[in-house]
Amino acid sequence: MSIPYFPGCTLHVKAKDLDDSTRAALAALGLELTELPEWTCCGAVFPLAQDNYMGMVAAARILANAAKLGDGRLVTVCSFCYHVLKRVNFAFRNRTEARNKLNEYLEEHYNGEVTLLHPLELIRDDVGFDVLQDRVYRRLKGLKVACYYGCTLSRPAEEMGFGEPENPTIMEELVAALGAEPVGFSWKTKCCGSYQVLNNAALAADRAQAVLEAASRQGAHVIITSCPLCRYNLERLPVGAAGKGESEARLPVLYFTQLLGIALQLPATTLGLDSHYLDALKEARA
Amino acid sequence: MVVTCTVKVAGNTPCTNDAEERGRCVVTGAEMTREVKAISGQNPYLCMQCGLCSASCTGVGFMDLLPRKVMRLVQLGDKKLLENRAIWLCSTCLTCTARCPRGLDVSRVMEALRVINLRKGTEVLAPEGIPEELLTEIPQMALTSGFRKLSS
Repeated sequence: MSIPYFPGCTLHVKAKDLDDSTRAALAALGLELTELPEWTCCGAVFPLAQDNYMGMVAAARILANAAKLGDGRLVTVCSFCYHVLKRVNFAFRNRTEARNKLNEYLEEHYNGEVTLLHPLELIRDDVGFDVLQDRVYRRLKGLKVACYYGCTLSRPAEEMGFGEPENPTIMEELVAALGAEPVGFSWKTKCCGSYQVLNNAALAADRAQAVLEAASRQGAHVIITSCPLCRYNLERLPVGAAGKGESEARLPVLYFTQLLGIALQLPATTLGLDSHYLDALKEARA
Repeated sequence: MVVTCTVKVAGNTPCTNDAEERGRCVVTGAEMTREVKAISGQNPYLCMQCGLCSASCTGVGFMDLLPRKVMRLVQLGDKKLLENRAIWLCSTCLTCTARCPRGLDVSRVMEALRVINLRKGTEVLAPEGIPEELLTEIPQMALTSGFRKLSS
């Protein structure tokens, strides 16, 4: 079984480890991903101006091309890509004017037939978290995990369909299936400051620190995410942030697919993981 | 479908922009409010000034005008709003949108205020202003999203 896959621009360059770990972890679960033969950037943000259809064209083209593959599904893991593709697909299904304009512009006849899936949904629905539980070789017992969704996965809830807008739980369900312990984390859907890091770096640093502190307070050993920008913003803080001493390491931030790969005992190299992460995790559980 | 913009520019000449370019010809406060309504698809008069948006906002600690006040100035048609820093510090995290008890999509109102500026050529993010060190290490998605939201 091979499923069409859209990596997105960041996963081929700066977040190669997210791409690698997603493919490797899903393959280990019997879910082969096949990259779309041709693709562009999704546009990264969904246009919030009612009259901005040009901002939807890139995502529309990707969806229309994916529909031609006939599988009916499209998998993407980057939180921004998932957000944009899901909302543009929603527009195709529910907004006649958007559908007509985009089809006219692209000379397509797409009506939103593709089902966009995040790997978390794919694992839940095609493997099952209960089955996954039995397939985990290295149970991550004692590891406390803060599941960080950020702002793009679950909002707006009626379009994203990813659970409660401020309390999705699918990542915690995955973590529990790996034998680890998801911590209560009230900051899980708070924003890391996102692209404001370019415009007001202090804002992004302030938000990232608040997220790290909240995870620290809950005793988390590691934060997991599916967003390269969240990870970047959380990791660019200097060591010593989040109330920890200079000598103490910052809370590690991993992609959820890397944690999954560790539990499936995949080689660190296929997960894009430096060995220091593995050491940090081992220490955390000791 | 081409919808011609109804705003009259200085000298009472009708604006020739079609609806896809709405907002470029905003001159008065009343025009600003009308264009915000058209671009955002939101009715700002639904806002009852409870302040939940301000309390929920990611960037609020850095704003000179809180989202609740932004909503108020849209209602009042105060054109000074377009020159405010707050509208550029929104990270479109949609927390305000998820929480508004009046069902307003506040983030769309913030976007409309940016869009009116952007369509006139007023922007806040310029490539040359980004430190090189940041440029080399930042994920591509940050550049695409930042430029789409904050530059014209």
